Amino acid sequence: MKPIVRLVDAAFAYPACEAPALADLSLDVRRGEVTAVTGPVGAGASTLLLVAAGFAPRLTGGTLTGTREILAARPGIVFATPWTQLTGLSRTVADEVAFGPASHGRPPAAVRAAARRAMDQLGVAHLAARDPATLSGGELQSVVVASALALEPDLLVLDDPAAELDPAGADALYALLGALAVTGVAVLVATQDLERAARIAQRAILLEAGRVVADGPAAATLTGTDAALIARAAGCPAPLPLDVDALVERLAR
Amino acid sequence: MIGYAAGRSPLHRAHPYTPLAAASAVLLLAFAVSTPGAVGVVVLAAVALALLGDATGAIVRPMLVLVLPTWALLLVLHGILGGDPHLVLGPVTLSEPGVRRALVLGGRVTAIVIAFLTALATVSPPRLVEAMTARGVPFGRIFLLVSSLTLVPRMRARAVQILDAQQSRGLRIGGSAAARVRALVPLVLPLVLGALAEVEEQVLALDARGAASGARRTALDPPRDTLGERLVRMALIMAVLMAYAAKFMGRGA
Repeated sequence: MKPIVRLVDAAFAYPACEAPALADLSLDVRRGEVTAVTGPVGAGASTLLLVAAGFAPRLTGGTLTGTREILAARPGIVFATPWTQLTGLSRTVADEVAFGPASHGRPPAAVRAAARRAMDQLGVAHLAARDPATLSGGELQSVVVASALALEPDLLVLDDPAAELDPAGADALYALLGALAVTGVAVLVATQDLERAARIAQRAILLEAGRVVADGPAAATLTGTDAALIARAAGCPAPLPLDVDALVERLAR
Repeated sequence: MIGYAAGRSPLHRAHPYTPLAAASAVLLLAFAVSTPGAVGVVVLAAVALALLGDATGAIVRPMLVLVLPTWALLLVLHGILGGDPHLVLGPVTLSEPGVRRALVLGGRVTAIVIAFLTALATVSPPRLVEAMTARGVPFGRIFLLVSSLTLVPRMRARAVQILDAQQSRGLRIGGSAAARVRALVPLVLPLVLGALAEVEEQVLALDARGAASGARRTALDPPRDTLGERLVRMALIMAVLMAYAAKFMGRGA
């Protein structure tokens, strides 16, 4: 099956930045898969999401080189800061979640149905009549994800989507992402929550300084990522070990 | 407080275009008339609007802050420094044409400020969005207008947060005038930079939810616009047109 997003030898630099935020980037994002992206802070995971969803450089400015193909008809994106993603134009959570489908001019009944379905999926239907400005961080994050789901996206891109959630909420969100992939949605999630990501992701990409250092099956790569992160914290030089045995061996030297 | 204050007054329940039309009519009428008596009538109309909108509580403080210094400045500039003939009022000698000029200008400013503070206090931004959406106004224009209307409350809320954060880190905001000015720097800088960063993220979020899709947005709950209200707005337009016709025909008040 043709990937929904394909990057070949892509590089991206923000305006007025000499160093590229992403370089030598080749990867596919496929329908029906959860792809987890991780790496140390500043590795470029958030930028990768913007490039993959088509927002960079269209809205951010900057320069993209290489090849990018996006076949997604309805991309949905959730950024890391839920409080900046409210429209500020809605009286209620239900209106906020309905904003996306309403923007596409769908009939009122279809808009309401899509919003209700998305709120049910995220477990926020009980907040429907609340003023979005009065929500807690966790409630807000769930509402923002519901707002993206209301668009019924074929590509769902999420940046650290469980950062504001409690453990039960995070478990439920990751389980939902896995279930969405089963229905054919391509899910690309940047996360530091490797344990939960490993449960649902088919593929994982490890970034470092804007470059892919590992790309493979999630179970192996994310376990290896744990090993790599521990090794880095222990001051090991590159190349970092990508599995527990290699880590133990390295630390024993 | 500048901004929307929830209520059940006739203006709160009216179609959002009606209070805005009334405020706009006050503005235009204030410039159509040029004698202190006629400007006084416009001020009374603005006060009646504020009473109708149950907005006196919401507008008194900003009125005092905005309008009192204007009156003081106008009376000094025109009343004391104006031309002959002069009126002697005890120890004070005032220019008669200067005082008339100050009354006209001060009355205009007062009427306009009262009318627009009332409109801001009684027009709910989300209802205005729905009303404009129902009329097919492009989303970009709606967002521009509503963002402007909600700018002051949003900036004030952010300023309070920043001030709390800075005070918790030892910022002292009391003391001499120079100390107060110095305390502004750690407030204004994050306020402006934070607002710019937030705008960028909000643009991405709105775009992700189809705000720029080009489709005609669906209005889910447009406010009811009665025949009576449409007639009121028509009457306001007629009043303004007649005032300007009289002004340009040399028979202005």
